[in-house]
Amino acid sequence: MNEMTEGHIVSGYNDELNHLHQTVLQMRDLVRLQLKNALKSLQDEDVAAARAVIKHDQKINALDIQADDAIIQLIAKRQPMAKDLREILTVGKIVSDLERMGDQARWVARLTIRFYEGESLPPQQQLLTDISKMGSYVDTMVDATITAFDQLNLQRAIEVIHKDQALESEFKSALRRLSTYLLEDARNVGHIADVVLALRALERIGGHAKNIAGHVLFLIHGKDMRHASLEMISAELGITSDR
Amino acid sequence: MMLEATTSIENTGFAGTVGDITANNPRMTTRNVNVHYGDKQAIIDVSLDIGRNEVIALIGPSGCGKSTFLRCLNRMNDTIDICHVSGEIKLDEQDIYDKKLDVVPLRAQVGMVFQKPNPFPKSIYDNIAYGPRIHGLTTNKTELDQVVEVSLRRAGLWNEVKDRLLQPGTGLSGGQQQRLCIARAIAVSPEVILMDEPCSALDPIATAKIEELIDELRENFTIVIVTHSMQQAARVSQRTAYFHLGHLIEVGKTEDIFTKPQHKLTEDYITGRFG
Repeated sequence: MNEMTEGHIVSGYNDELNHLHQTVLQMRDLVRLQLKNALKSLQDEDVAAARAVIKHDQKINALDIQADDAIIQLIAKRQPMAKDLREILTVGKIVSDLERMGDQARWVARLTIRFYEGESLPPQQQLLTDISKMGSYVDTMVDATITAFDQLNLQRAIEVIHKDQALESEFKSALRRLSTYLLEDARNVGHIADVVLALRALERIGGHAKNIAGHVLFLIHGKDMRHASLEMISAELGITSDR
Repeated sequence: MMLEATTSIENTGFAGTVGDITANNPRMTTRNVNVHYGDKQAIIDVSLDIGRNEVIALIGPSGCGKSTFLRCLNRMNDTIDICHVSGEIKLDEQDIYDKKLDVVPLRAQVGMVFQKPNPFPKSIYDNIAYGPRIHGLTTNKTELDQVVEVSLRRAGLWNEVKDRLLQPGTGLSGGQQQRLCIARAIAVSPEVILMDEPCSALDPIATAKIEELIDELRENFTIVIVTHSMQQAARVSQRTAYFHLGHLIEVGKTEDIFTKPQHKLTEDYITGRFG
């Protein structure tokens, strides 16, 4: 709950906006749980846990649809204006990004199934190091970006955009490392292709977190800066761009 | 919903109007307008330009002074004895509060449409013909017929009434009566049309027709509309001015006022947050 969802004369409007806001937080919790469980399934070589992750993605999908329905109702019933309008439009985009994050977490779970189901030879552990590392990093981004939304915290939103740049570099480094493994032993090619897909999924989760940070900037300032550089954003908002 | 303006200006740090009060090549200019009803001050130091061929919406809670300000623009407040207006209000560089100025032609130049349709108890034809006749705008019956037809066409009413021009205007539906009043206002070729909540007594269909009409009329006239419906202000106007306790708090492009207002009072009002 924040100043965006409170203070209306019509208390039903507060309740509806609050409910929508809570749906975002609930989706954030589910996405983080899915990501955590997917990464853990890979670490534990637990195929059953990976299957559970894939199944539970439906919960996130259901919340996405529930939020969209609530948004349609709010627009039709309340004709939102100004910050209410921005909050509602922003939530519409955030839930969409969260839903896609859920889909990407499924990719990691699929990796567990591909590697550890059946009799085929599992990958060497060193190939999986980057997945675990990037997974933890991306999790902090998901947390930070929704906290920025919840608290209308500009600085945190900017931090997430910074983190996405770091994530991109990390992704490229990981690809370079995997190439060296491939050069060492070409028989790793199958496993490496799968690992790249999982790393790409994590990188996409970070990308969605960055999108959300952009939506939060719009929510707070009323200016769409999704496609602006960090320097342009910092100059526009009059803040320092240091991490 | 009617909102009472109970939030104190002082608590919100009011320090002059937010936004650009000027318009390029304005039709009307108002500067430092103050209005008193006896001891009570209803308008406090308001300055605002009314642009040519624009629709400007005046919004704000009940008692904020928006209707009082509107009525200053064609000296309708003169009819109230205890009302005193000071400051400068010009129409095309002419000071409309000049003591030598005749208010009758002024009110033809700056026409008005009220909240409740108020056709004369006369025929539809005579409702429109009345103004051109008293102002001597036509010389013969053919010309007068033409003014009546053009005015009714511009008001989007011609096809509905052309076969019953001699029937009483009061026999029309509420929405038709309001369009008749708009036709009556435009029959004397005004420069500015003031509308004081013109749709508040109308159903949604009649309201939509008036809003469509306002959009068409903008080609030839300047329109100042007071409305309690924020959605209506957002739909019909290019600029919006927000009044609160007699102050002009904020003015700006309508698209900005309704998506990212600068002043907290504007934000609170348009999002329904006044307690």
